[in-house]
Amino acid sequence: MNAYLTQTWINLKLTYRDKVVLFFNYAFPLIFFFVFAGLYKAERGGAIVQVLTMVMTIGILGTGFFGAGIRAVQDRELGILRRFKVAPIDAGPILISSMVTGLVNYLPVALVMILLSHYLYGMPFPQRWLSLLVFISLGVVAFRAIGLIIASVVNSAQESQILIQLLYFPMLMLSGATIPISFLPDWLQIVSQFLPSTHLITSMQAILGRGETFGQNFWSAAALALTALLATFISIKLFRWEKDEKLPASAKFWIVGALTPFILLGTYQAKTHGSLAKANMLVRDQRRNRTFLIRDVRVFIGDGSVIEAGGVLVKGGKIEEIYTAATPDPKELNADVIEGTGKTLIPGLIDVHVQLASTGGLSDSAIDPAKSIPRELAAYLYSGVTAVMSVGDPLDQVTKWRAAIRNGTRLGAELFLCGPVLTTGSAPEARQMVAALKSEDVDGIQAILSNRMDPRIPRAIGEEALARRLPLMVHTGDTKDMAAALDAGANAIEPGSTQSSTRDVVPAEVWARMKQRGVVYIPMLSVLDALGALAEGKADGLLDRTLVQQVGPAGLLASTRRILAREKGRGTPLDSGMARQNLLAAWQAGVPLVTGSGAGSPLVWHGPAVHREMQLWVEAGIPAEAALRAATFEAARWLRADDRIGLIRKGREASMVLLNGNPLKDIRDSENIVAVFFKGERIERPELFAQN
Amino acid sequence: MSSSADCAISVRGLRKSYGDFEAVRGIDFEVAQGEVFGLLGPNGAGKTTTVEILEGLRSRTAGQVSVLGYDPGVQVRELKDRIGVSLQHTNLPDKMKVIEALTLFASFYTRKVDKDQLLSRLKLTDKRNEYYSRLSGGQKQRVALALALINDPQVIFLDEPTTGVDPQVRLEIHSLIQELRDAKRTILITTHYIEEAEKLCDRVAIVDEGKVIVIGTPREIQAQAQGRTRIDIECEQAIPVADLPAIVTDGKFVMAFVIAKDGRHLTMHSAQPARVIVELVKWIDQQGIGLADIHLKRPTLEDVFIELTGKTLRE
Repeated sequence: MNAYLTQTWINLKLTYRDKVVLFFNYAFPLIFFFVFAGLYKAERGGAIVQVLTMVMTIGILGTGFFGAGIRAVQDRELGILRRFKVAPIDAGPILISSMVTGLVNYLPVALVMILLSHYLYGMPFPQRWLSLLVFISLGVVAFRAIGLIIASVVNSAQESQILIQLLYFPMLMLSGATIPISFLPDWLQIVSQFLPSTHLITSMQAILGRGETFGQNFWSAAALALTALLATFISIKLFRWEKDEKLPASAKFWIVGALTPFILLGTYQAKTHGSLAKANMLVRDQRRNRTFLIRDVRVFIGDGSVIEAGGVLVKGGKIEEIYTAATPDPKELNADVIEGTGKTLIPGLIDVHVQLASTGGLSDSAIDPAKSIPRELAAYLYSGVTAVMSVGDPLDQVTKWRAAIRNGTRLGAELFLCGPVLTTGSAPEARQMVAALKSEDVDGIQAILSNRMDPRIPRAIGEEALARRLPLMVHTGDTKDMAAALDAGANAIEPGSTQSSTRDVVPAEVWARMKQRGVVYIPMLSVLDALGALAEGKADGLLDRTLVQQVGPAGLLASTRRILAREKGRGTPLDSGMARQNLLAAWQAGVPLVTGSGAGSPLVWHGPAVHREMQLWVEAGIPAEAALRAATFEAARWLRADDRIGLIRKGREASMVLLNGNPLKDIRDSENIVAVFFKGERIERPELFAQN
Repeated sequence: MSSSADCAISVRGLRKSYGDFEAVRGIDFEVAQGEVFGLLGPNGAGKTTTVEILEGLRSRTAGQVSVLGYDPGVQVRELKDRIGVSLQHTNLPDKMKVIEALTLFASFYTRKVDKDQLLSRLKLTDKRNEYYSRLSGGQKQRVALALALINDPQVIFLDEPTTGVDPQVRLEIHSLIQELRDAKRTILITTHYIEEAEKLCDRVAIVDEGKVIVIGTPREIQAQAQGRTRIDIECEQAIPVADLPAIVTDGKFVMAFVIAKDGRHLTMHSAQPARVIVELVKWIDQQGIGLADIHLKRPTLEDVFIELTGKTLRE
């Protein structure tokens, strides 16, 4: 023990006398820190965690490969180890003290850089500092051990240089330490999963950026620890004290042996893509954390009020500040600038009734929902729709995509979901069903109710939904069903889209009850509109819309056009006149309105549909301001998410759409999308469809 | 010969091969407790290999070896803990201070001596806080000796302790070794300096090409060569080697002869120097070569070595 301590103590003293070591250990990472912080504009938010972890990883690689590896070979070449050979020790004290020295030297550097990140670049202090400390330490020890095993298997200084460069450069360039992994081509991303440095940097980023714990990064930690142990053990076994003692060239395979944990981890990750998904999340976090200012822009707040020329500052994914007049100097705010002159900023649009399992197009072949659902969600975001409520879709599918979008591995509209639509059955069955759906973590309940049902069933659903704090959306057949829905305790009512259901005037007392109880009306004019156009054989117009052409999958657009040409009208003609009158009456009665397009129905396209819905409302006589409010604030309130979304207000999520023109004057301007912001990230819209 | 209680080192039938090359080809000797024993021989004779096997640094191919009762191939750690070693061609980190080197190495051993006393014995007290890289060659050698003595060893191996140091330091090291001998330490020295062996060693083994050629006290070894006088002849022109007379080449009167590289110096050993000189001078005269000088010398250890091996020690 005494030998280990003395060796370590004297090693430390030697390091602090060595100017080269001091430069590379201390000054070098700090230089990189400031260079990278400048390059990645860390002061504008987001990138600082990445910069910090990159520079920490570069430092750890340096202390491992050069601090431990080259130094050990030098000591052998100079005959220093030969002097130790005659003493009654094995390589243990020498190797262990090298690792401890590396750690003790490195930790202050890491601490200084964390403090700089906090005080100069506004990075929050690590919440999981213990997990971070463990990872930094594991990283240093593992890479020192890798450096030492290289020293143990090479026969000369030249060999060690070659071998170190061969390992150092890929670990530097392909791990995310210099170039973010997401910039690499797919096959290189897979290669990166075999590198210890990739797992080190990804874990440190996750701990710093997402507040993850050691446990959530257990396998990376285990692989680092195991490699450290293996490499140390093999180094002790293969340790040579004299340059004249040579090992066969095949001894170099021991390095591969020491890296076995990462070969296994890499193979596993190449199959599951789990770590790559995490890397994507981290990139997403970074993009969401950029600071930017949209200035000289008309702001539609969402609740109906409008700022004619103001500014919105976005920071850390949230709306940081709203300026009603002149905006401050963006340099002082450390913000990127987006000029909004002649443009209108609205909250991200919301569509509360979409059926993702159907595409909205016509096709002779079956569509695989596992492929079409993520694409449709991307189409929503492309179209400025930042949240949707899925109705009647397979729960396993939508639950999966909801999680992927929530954690940032997938870009698309935020997904709320109801799961299967409740229809018939008995009252106890209905209760069980609501309970079961709640346990699947649904965001609402959708039921089809009719006045011919046993009234106990709707009541059971209503009570159960209320008890479980789930909003209940009821799809009705005719106007009598609306009263039944109100009796059952519905929170939202949708009219049917059959001939019979579009014949009647909704009685004024129904509107009065809805207004009184705050039950929202979701008119779904888009479905009637499309069914009517189809029946008349005039659906080409719905297909030719610019936004539809932009988001529709090419094959689906082609098959739709082919089938439309072939069939020349399908179904029976529908008159949507009464539906429009009812909508106007509802608005006049003060009933809260919410946009739900029924997208997925034939020619009601995922994404563009909500724009069409608003246009139909305006045609029906609803003011554009009310339509926009229904598609933003009212929809968010119905989803019970208005504390996060639906409003451009300080502290809300920065999910917004920047439009050319003024949709308050011409609702068709809602399709003139300049930019979409989702949780603070300015979306690269065309790349939404390139996600794999 | 069997290893007895007062036998510190015992080597029997020691062999060491590196692939096809046999560096040590059957070496036998014993070193008694408190004895200073020298292994004398030219570079590459197998001295260092032999010593490093005894120190536990190298494995052996064959033979029986015992140091302080330990088998260096088996009880390496126990052995290393109780011996002191000064190796050739070692180094310490440039920025390590002398006292740190002593502290560090002391931490490796069970027994340790007082560092300050050791420093003063080796006249290193004023270099105590000096970096290793700033020491002179002699000071570095003294540090190496200090490290060899840090554990108060019973057996000390000194591999070429005075190679590359100036005469002043050499004398200091010699007096230190004598001091250790007076303290009854067992010392094994390898050297290719004859004077060193003659001056320091109780007994010497002359080693060449992996074998012990002769073993004994310096006096005994010299006695083997008694009456064998060394003759040095210097001519003004090159001596025609091929035509040398039979009295030089037939091996009856001359034990061994060496012609120096310049071709003008001939060195021989003979029990009948007068007869050899008469014949040789006559022959030189016949060859028409000018005789520059003749020198006769009674034998030394080096002469014994030349006589036995046909080589000089420093060729």
